Amino acid sequence: MALAGASAGQAGELAVTVTDRVGAGVSEVVVIVTPLDARGPTPKQVSAVMDQRSLTFAPTVLVVSTGTIVDFPNNDSVSHQVYSFSPAKKFQLPLYKGVNHAPVTFEREGLVVLGCNIHDAMVGYIYVTDAPFFGKTDAAGTLRLPNLKEGDYRIRLWSPFVADNAETLTRNVHVDEHDTASSRVELSRGLRDQPEPRPRRKNWEY
Amino acid sequence: MKARLAVCAVAWLYAGAAPAGDQLNVDGALDVRFLHATGDPSFLDGGLGTLRFDPDHEGLRLGRAFMAARLRLADTVTVHGVVDAYGDHDRNPADLSEFFADVRPYPTNSLRWRARIGAFHMPISLENRGPGWSDVYSITPSALNTWLGEEFRTIGAELEGRWLGASSGYFGDVALVAAAYAWNDPAGVLIAVRGFALTDRASTLFGGLGRPPITFYHEIDRKPGAYAGLTWRHHDRLEIRALRYDNRADPGASTQAGGGAWRTRFSSFGARVEPDAHWTLIAQYIDGDTTIGPDWAGEDQFVMTYHAAFALASFESGKERFTARFDRFGTHQSSGFYGPPSNQSGHAWTTSWSHDFDDHWQLVAEWIRVTSAFPPRVVLAGSSGSVGTQTQVAVRYRFQFGA
Repeated sequence: MALAGASAGQAGELAVTVTDRVGAGVSEVVVIVTPLDARGPTPKQVSAVMDQRSLTFAPTVLVVSTGTIVDFPNNDSVSHQVYSFSPAKKFQLPLYKGVNHAPVTFEREGLVVLGCNIHDAMVGYIYVTDAPFFGKTDAAGTLRLPNLKEGDYRIRLWSPFVADNAETLTRNVHVDEHDTASSRVELSRGLRDQPEPRPRRKNWEY
Repeated sequence: MKARLAVCAVAWLYAGAAPAGDQLNVDGALDVRFLHATGDPSFLDGGLGTLRFDPDHEGLRLGRAFMAARLRLADTVTVHGVVDAYGDHDRNPADLSEFFADVRPYPTNSLRWRARIGAFHMPISLENRGPGWSDVYSITPSALNTWLGEEFRTIGAELEGRWLGASSGYFGDVALVAAAYAWNDPAGVLIAVRGFALTDRASTLFGGLGRPPITFYHEIDRKPGAYAGLTWRHHDRLEIRALRYDNRADPGASTQAGGGAWRTRFSSFGARVEPDAHWTLIAQYIDGDTTIGPDWAGEDQFVMTYHAAFALASFESGKERFTARFDRFGTHQSSGFYGPPSNQSGHAWTTSWSHDFDDHWQLVAEWIRVTSAFPPRVVLAGSSGSVGTQTQVAVRYRFQFGA
């Protein structure tokens, strides 16, 4: 993930782990980390890709810094019409296959929910953040952020599949230099069901 | 000023035009079958049999040849047309069965509007989800959906408002649909004279069914019909549909040629569950009535109630699909007797297996057994009860192309 780093030698590390009610790691959770006592470095504006494969957005959740440009290639055999009516970014990509449209720039912080005007079951999310440090948890439910300056940080978590209240998904943590600070978040509510879309036989089922 | 307007118009058209390569998509299939059947002559051949084929129509037969085309006029406007051929000496060897424009603007909030204008199937069947309204679970749809394909086509306009749940953190959506239509006044005649049947022979817009052929798409009383429905989709796993249909026909209206308007109303409910990557479970139910004859005719007015239901389980794994279905159906005539009452009572078992060799070739084997009782059969066959079976093996070649 795109991260702004601190200078080596004074750096600490932050490890954030998200677990469900039975202690299993929860993957694909967006982790936003903001310094409390100093302004963090400005994240680089980079490019990212939100692919479309097998009638799904891939990845389902993409987290980018403000100003990132995102490509939306369609690698399905059928056409898509991608849109968002989220306040953070309203846009439409008229019907296309392959790479047919210019990348989209996400200038404002916020959650952008993506849809396809033809295939209503296709849903994707782009989380746009101003924070200098961010990422997503891995298959074990952990995100490691190296090269953080010593100091206090605020952690915020978000996932479309996490049903816990936003207040319980925010916490502060202190990072010492040359040390790894750990923050473990145990979810109190069950995850929202996230069934994989049923594979269809080519175009023979709508 | 005119020049500026012209430039704006050209720019607007260019912005709304569909991208090259996506303007036309055609799905089609050729379905040839080998058949064995027992029981009464099919109603398609002038009998009272409740299956498409009968002992006089065995062997190698054309099941269906069709092409379903989608022409994109603009980014959010598509025209759909389905051309069918069944090889059974219908009025036209090939005929339109659907033709409509689909307008689907991009949503600007969590409510998405969609309109269909033309001639199309109403959103009831949970089996017929393939191109050209084809059944993806077996060859022959249930009695309920057979009837919808035989006697009904919305020829008018339908508006759908769909609440898209994703923006609110809910992985599903809810849709309300309403339509106004004409040219469906004869709907009800077939179920009155024959009862329910199980066939994959849907009607076409300009053709007929049976001998002499009954045609369905006429406007007799100049009164539009209407339906309204609700669909709830929960994830990709559950879909529930309810719809109320009323063609609002004047049962006293008739044409000079003797065709009458049937006032037909029904309520339909259905649910499809896909609990995992392999199983599909479907149940549908319909309940309604149909009437012909002026309202002042009292006991001489023909009034019939009907109901049909089925439960289906289908298992799909790789290239194989296995399906089993149980149908139950019945009609009850309550007035207007001029002979034995048209009281049908029946049930049917259907099993099928399909194998996809590749994206084009498919083999489908299906067995159906229908047990029914129908008092008017006494006149023709000496008893009201009958059992019919139909075994068919279909070889299908499916194709797609675009431009």
